[in-house]
Amino acid sequence: MRHNEGMVVPPPPVAKTGSARSGRPHRLVRAVFQPIGDQGRAALVERRIADAIMGGVLHAGERLPAETDLAQSFGVAPATAREALLALRERGLITTRRGRHGGSFVADTADPTTFALDALAATSRVALRDAATHYATITAAAVELAARRADPSEIALIRHRLERVDPADPIGWRRASDDAQIELSALSQSARLTREQMRLQAELSPLFALADREPERRTATRERFWALLDAVERGDPTTAVELSRAAVRDAIEWLIDVRETLVAP
Amino acid sequence: MTTIPATQSPVELVADYFGRAIATLESWKPLLAADVAAARAAGPFTSEKLDDLVEPYAHRTFDSLDLPVYGAGFIAALDSLADAGSHLAWWQGAERTKLVLASQSINKEHIDYSELEWYRVPQATGEAHVAGPYVDYLCSDEYTITVAAPVAIGDDFIGVAGLDLLIDRVEHDLTPRLVGYEAHVTIINGVGRVLLSTDARRETGDTLRGSDLEAFERHPCPGMALEVLLH
Repeated sequence: MRHNEGMVVPPPPVAKTGSARSGRPHRLVRAVFQPIGDQGRAALVERRIADAIMGGVLHAGERLPAETDLAQSFGVAPATAREALLALRERGLITTRRGRHGGSFVADTADPTTFALDALAATSRVALRDAATHYATITAAAVELAARRADPSEIALIRHRLERVDPADPIGWRRASDDAQIELSALSQSARLTREQMRLQAELSPLFALADREPERRTATRERFWALLDAVERGDPTTAVELSRAAVRDAIEWLIDVRETLVAP
Repeated sequence: MTTIPATQSPVELVADYFGRAIATLESWKPLLAADVAAARAAGPFTSEKLDDLVEPYAHRTFDSLDLPVYGAGFIAALDSLADAGSHLAWWQGAERTKLVLASQSINKEHIDYSELEWYRVPQATGEAHVAGPYVDYLCSDEYTITVAAPVAIGDDFIGVAGLDLLIDRVEHDLTPRLVGYEAHVTIINGVGRVLLSTDARRETGDTLRGSDLEAFERHPCPGMALEVLLH
């Protein structure tokens, strides 16, 4: 017996005379049952990969999974994956090499800092603050539960991993701290909160990464996160929530200052 | 579902349930080890070759096991393949989709699984392990139990064979069979985390430790790091 045993639901038959009888425009009814179409799906695949490249989740030179793997993983037809790759190539985000070591690679020119600064300048203050509110709320809820539920050995593992990161390497640090935040949220034992944390982390990490370029900010972020881990470890939800909210507040104020310099006339 | 004799105690019932998962993994582990040894002798052993070898065993796990298996496969020991530092040969979900990490929202390809419970414990002890419950942000993105067994060629650890059970389904399966005893039954793991309870007031995911545990009659489950609490 398997979970979610899939059932294939046949498309509902549309009665030929039904819509005329009820006075509804026949075409509108038919449109409801039009195939979703692979055009929309290709655009979705394209956006997902483009976001990952522009967010620095996929790095310059990194190899993308093979077309068939991509198709299978996204649950689309191979032709749809191909269409999405073609669009990404036209936008200059990926390049394709032929031959034995061929495949699709993130373009060498894809620089996440440039993309992030452009995105920051294009985002309004209200949208930035709203994103920060959403992020802070999810994170605070997750760390509060984690502080009630985590075992000290689980916090020790997160700390141990962070200790191995070279503090001089901003990209390594960002990756490790994104992972650490997700691991910490997962200790809430809530799958929904963890999934939301992952989604928000992927969305906002490129902006947070802008601050990582300054070594002293990187050190400060690291120390804050360390204090947060301490609070969770000793089972202190109140302090954990305060620290995680303060960290988001600090990050967003810094980003808004940067944004002001970018949009200054 | 197998009919359980009424004489079975809660501990026997729980040990049997997860024990069946362990037995299935143990049944194909030596076969996969032999397949891998042969493939390694024949040339560079890549993740693609590993996938081809593991896939039939993953399907066998889905098909033969009378448990709500959500995912199954094999996770390669770090740096054991010719073309990748790490690799999950894993199939999951209703469609048994092959897991491809690189295309997910965060770049899970870089997550180092060597310290995760389902990899670390079987590797360290050489024994099968029931890991979790935990939010599996690597594979299912759900609240999960992973049953994992270490695979070796001789003394050479090559990875873990595993299967995922979603807590949601385990609760459906096990709770009705655990009610009807004189006491409430709560299952906890090695760190005191509640897997499920017949007491609706006891929340899955909460952790019981120290003095919390004094009120219970505690029964360890043989062969796995689970305890059955009666209260």
